[in-house]
Amino acid sequence: MTSTLAFGPPATSPGRATFPALAIRETRRLVLNPVFLAAVAFIAFALWAGPDAGQTEIDTSNPYAAISLGGFGMMATYWLTRSMRASEPVVGVTPVTQPARTAALCAVALVPFACGCLALLRFVQLTPVSSPLYGPFSPSARVAVLVGQIVVPALGGPLLGVALGRWVRFPGAAFVLFLLIYGWVSLVTILSMSHANSALVAVLRLFAPFAFFTLHSDAGGVTAWRGSPWFFIGWQLALCAIAVLVALLRGAEGRTRSRIIRALGVAGVAALILLVLAALGGFTHPLTA
Amino acid sequence: MTGPVLRAGAWPAVAGISALAVVVGGCGAAFPAAVTVLLPICFVLLAAAAAFTLDEPASLVVDVTPTGPVRRTQIRAVALLAPLAAGALVLLAAALRGQALPWAAAGLALAGNVLLGFAVACVLRTRTGEPGAMAGTVVVLVLMAPTLVPQVARWVRTFPAPGADGPSSDLVWWIVLTVCLVAIAISIGGRGLPRRMSIIP
Repeated sequence: MTSTLAFGPPATSPGRATFPALAIRETRRLVLNPVFLAAVAFIAFALWAGPDAGQTEIDTSNPYAAISLGGFGMMATYWLTRSMRASEPVVGVTPVTQPARTAALCAVALVPFACGCLALLRFVQLTPVSSPLYGPFSPSARVAVLVGQIVVPALGGPLLGVALGRWVRFPGAAFVLFLLIYGWVSLVTILSMSHANSALVAVLRLFAPFAFFTLHSDAGGVTAWRGSPWFFIGWQLALCAIAVLVALLRGAEGRTRSRIIRALGVAGVAALILLVLAALGGFTHPLTA
Repeated sequence: MTGPVLRAGAWPAVAGISALAVVVGGCGAAFPAAVTVLLPICFVLLAAAAAFTLDEPASLVVDVTPTGPVRRTQIRAVALLAPLAAGALVLLAAALRGQALPWAAAGLALAGNVLLGFAVACVLRTRTGEPGAMAGTVVVLVLMAPTLVPQVARWVRTFPAPGADGPSSDLVWWIVLTVCLVAIAISIGGRGLPRRMSIIP
């Protein structure tokens, strides 16, 4: 006598059912991480102290959110991701797949993102969008500049940390990458000061997760550099999507893996197009107001 | 003993970060306008490289061998030559490019950065076998503070900017060097087994 056992699909897959619990657990770990706490303290202090009395343009005070929530946030999520490596042999046999655990880790980026939104509100309160410190940008472009410099890096940095933690074994990778990005942004910004009209330098300046858009002019006023702040946000969001997909790719198998690789290709092409549009859009030459 | 202790060092980390520092410092040498931004980053990377010199993955075994912590630290300190040589190479490149930097103060800053990374690693080595990642992060956050926080930069300068007003970096680095030497001496002298091992009967 034989019997046939029919296995139907479960009502919900284990990954989906446990995702909220995992995400909450990882979020709790992030908010207790000393590096993330230091980042929040740093941005809170910077926003509490407010801009210097002699502030001549917004770019002297708006990179703090990107440095703390984005840069330090990247270090924090990198540690968070790496801290599970030692227990991988045990965690690896649970019904939850590695991409599901990675997705839960990516969800913690919502915390620094929310902090970034709060930082933006406080920044606008301290330096209203109507202020001449923003230079010749239109009101909507001024908002785009702030979103691209304060909010999106707060989301992208932690996502980059997760991707880095999933793929790179070297324990110092996060702070090394932080220093390299800081150095790159500084270098291309300094190059932009002396080659403000160059299209190539504009592309190099925007080929970063963070970019400055204005410079205080020696002759008075604020000079806006080439580039579209709106398309730059698109480029940044494409980088965020690439970071998530690269993180999810680790441990993905079968159809999921091929879907992620396909999505990566689409995101890569979109990022490239948005970078070109960011460089070609906006002011076609530096403008002082 | 010297050979095996040296061979077991985290050479890929030390050499890799030092090489990246040379690239960053090389860009600083190539672009004079960026030298006061990129050279401090280069030195911070070298400090982070120095923080990895004491990493010992087999510390559970090594820490109970007859070779004491003083001798092991002395041998591992040889690896500091890599970040120091990298920093000297960058300064030489900047000099050959005709950059006008206060060279003695820059050399002192280089030595101070590297020794600070090593000292933090020495202190953390009393708690863990692989202090590099933690020490590197601490050193990066501390050394970048004057660059990132203007309120700190008003009081502390870690790189001698040519012709700049404000506090001198020399005083900072002489104090750091002294404190680091004391911290290294205390951490090596007081280091028996890492504290996590004290619970082993």
